[in-house]
Amino acid sequence: MSQAPLLALEGVTKRFGGLTAVADVSFTVPVGELLGIIGPNGAGKTTLFNVISGYYRADSGRVVFAGQDVVGQPPHAICRLGLTRTFQLVKPFGNLSVVDNVMIGALTRLPTIRAARVEAERVIATCGLAPHAKAHARTLPIGLRKRLEVARALATRPRLLLLDEVMAGLNPTELAAMIELIQHLHGDGLTVIVIEHIMAAMMRLAHRIVVLHHGERIAEGPPAAITQDRRVIDAYLGEEFVLAQA
Amino acid sequence: MDSARRLGPAQIDVLAQLAVATVLLGGIYALIAVGLTLIFGIMRVVNFAHGEFLMLGMYLAFWAFALYAVDPYVVVLVSIPVFFVVGLVAYVLVMRGVIQASHNVQIFTTVGLSVVLQNVALVAWSGDFRFVRPWHLSTVIRAGATIFNLTQVVAFLIAVALTIALVAFMKWTHAGRVMRATAQDRDAATLMGIDTDRVYRLTFAIGIAAVGAAGVLVAPLYSVYPTAGLQFVLISYVVVVLGGLGDMFGAMLGSFIVALVEVAGSYLFGTAWKEIFYFILFILVLVFRPVGLFGQRGAETLGV
Amino acid sequence: MIARLRSRPGAVALFGLAALTPLVVRDAYFLDSLVLILLWGALSAAWNVAGGYAGQVSIGHASFFGIGAYAAALMVTRFGQGPWLGMLAGVVLSLGAGFIIGFLSNRLKGPYFALSTIAFAQVLLIGVSRWRGFTAGGEGIPVPFRPGFATLGLGHVGWVYMALAAALLCYGVEVYLERSRIGYRLAGVREDEDAAEALGIPTRRLKVFAVALSAALTSVCGSLWAQYIGFVDPTYVFSVDLSVRFALNAIIGGMGTALGPYLGSILITSLETYLRATFSGVKTGFAGIYLIIYGTALIVVVRFAPGGLAGVASRLRARRAQA
Repeated sequence: MSQAPLLALEGVTKRFGGLTAVADVSFTVPVGELLGIIGPNGAGKTTLFNVISGYYRADSGRVVFAGQDVVGQPPHAICRLGLTRTFQLVKPFGNLSVVDNVMIGALTRLPTIRAARVEAERVIATCGLAPHAKAHARTLPIGLRKRLEVARALATRPRLLLLDEVMAGLNPTELAAMIELIQHLHGDGLTVIVIEHIMAAMMRLAHRIVVLHHGERIAEGPPAAITQDRRVIDAYLGEEFVLAQA
Repeated sequence: MDSARRLGPAQIDVLAQLAVATVLLGGIYALIAVGLTLIFGIMRVVNFAHGEFLMLGMYLAFWAFALYAVDPYVVVLVSIPVFFVVGLVAYVLVMRGVIQASHNVQIFTTVGLSVVLQNVALVAWSGDFRFVRPWHLSTVIRAGATIFNLTQVVAFLIAVALTIALVAFMKWTHAGRVMRATAQDRDAATLMGIDTDRVYRLTFAIGIAAVGAAGVLVAPLYSVYPTAGLQFVLISYVVVVLGGLGDMFGAMLGSFIVALVEVAGSYLFGTAWKEIFYFILFILVLVFRPVGLFGQRGAETLGV
Repeated sequence: MIARLRSRPGAVALFGLAALTPLVVRDAYFLDSLVLILLWGALSAAWNVAGGYAGQVSIGHASFFGIGAYAAALMVTRFGQGPWLGMLAGVVLSLGAGFIIGFLSNRLKGPYFALSTIAFAQVLLIGVSRWRGFTAGGEGIPVPFRPGFATLGLGHVGWVYMALAAALLCYGVEVYLERSRIGYRLAGVREDEDAAEALGIPTRRLKVFAVALSAALTSVCGSLWAQYIGFVDPTYVFSVDLSVRFALNAIIGGMGTALGPYLGSILITSLETYLRATFSGVKTGFAGIYLIIYGTALIVVVRFAPGGLAGVASRLRARRAQA
């Protein structure tokens, strides 16, 4: 029995005045997949996330999540349906502690503070933030802030998690740990879409990759195929990448 | 159409009078608003104390007139350098720390400044209403069937002259270009080697000089008291929001629109209610088109 | 319950002291000061619900205060009913006004929002001042004193407890916001609206809720104040100065903390009382000097000690814990 895809984009277009940021993009994400989205800066990746998660309204096309067209719904409603996104420039609740940050995420599904605290502590442990639980978010360095961003999103118990460049700014150790975390979460059954520039990480994580360029989807397929796609190499990867892989 | 409302000669006279009143008033509002929109547009700061500097200008005119019998239109020449310095001092002491700070800091710092200035005036000069009555206030000019007094006309002319001077400065001098560049992109300006602190200092000083001069000009036309600034600051914010942040021409156009609302509203509903119209206009503009007639949509939610 | 009380020693001390004072002190002037401290504290706490907890800084809360004051005064003088009914009417009207301001808070950010709240209060001020037929216009309304609880005609001791009840009500709401689900989510809205939306928080609805709640509480205090002072003057009850005062106490004491507004009120109201006593002969001089001080305090505190007195206290506590 083939299951309906968790997320399906059908001809999604988003314009800003004269600029078409996302042009007729379509793809599907089956349950349990780890999809990667790559493309040069300005390709429309974050805009696409904004459209999917409800911050922008698609000018045309459909965004079907769990069988429902969510175009026009506010972000909080889409989160309640089970889709949570993180932000490229992390947005911690700076004056609140790490625990409080994650609790606020947990309160999406849980009715009491007490239950939320228990859940938050569990998520914090999963994400390796336990030693910093009481620290104020604004005191955290970038690596931990990225973790917090993921943990907070996780606490909302999403079915689909959208991660926007969570690796940027991390040192090699943090990077490895983040990759491991994402793999662990995915292994537990979470469907994930990842926007990334760090190709090494993308190659390890993604089952399939969608490539955006000037707002259009120019290629889609497994990492091995993508890295050999002429269009992708010309638009984004560059010859040096290909040579380095050889 | 009801015969009494046909556009007969009497009605045309009324319209002409209203039109002239609008223009005269608008010119003065323009001078206040242009300085404010500069500060707004370049420094991205809402200065709640703007009206208090106007009030200080009014008092300058009053004391010069009361103590030395100097006419306000002579004082206005002095007021420009005086308030330029006042602006510099206020910038260094208060505003400088506020520019990069959070909204709350901006709001409460300038609100605090407003309270301080109002009450310095209150303590120094008491809350009594003062009046500046130069000879030209009672000189009436007739043009066709319209009547206005000489004071209004001179105030208008000087205000227009100063506004034109300011616009010219912004357009044709190097300093003006630098200021406009900073308004468009603060970070890029810094990267280009522009000392933004100096730009802000100059901007604020110019803005305060403009509003101080405007205060001197309006002193004969309104009563002078410590909280006189409040009504003007709210009017000028309506103008600036209507015209769009940092847009000097928008500010000028906005001034005439607000003046029209005030004059027409006053005529139709009586002077008691006139103030309510521009506040309602203000709220409507903020709700429906917060970036003004010409501004960039979304600016107000970007925290401009 | 006891555990809860122990976790907030400052509040227990403060309100406990206030409750005990009338048993020991009989001086009318002192009790009057206490009533004012409690009422100003309550008003600032009400403001804090919107400003500190929801992050919607308004400089127009006098709108709700004035509505409450007028509702109480008019209900008594025009409709011959009791002030409690007036208070209820005031709450209903203020909720309406609160929804409007809440709507504005969803359209406008920061200083723009603050400006719109000032304009709103001005509209009310002018409207009420001109509506001579109903509100007696600029002359204001004297509120008659009729002894009894139903008519809020209380003695000094009675008023201390009335004001204390209002203060505890507003304090209770603040504490509730600190430890409830809605309060936590509101904190998220305050810290970062976009992030809060992404976490499933209906930010627009919550902001309106906070502003409306704040409005209702302010209105209640306004109604009490009208009965206490005995005179409602539109140029005062809707004034910008009043709106700033509500915010000032909260900022000086610590915005976003439950006790902060009360700490701020103690400091500022005591200062005002002291200056009034010292400068009693020179009426204008006193008013001006006191306000210059508080304006300067506002500038200094918001720049250099944004956590207010509560912030300083917690920093000292943290330092002592480390030592």
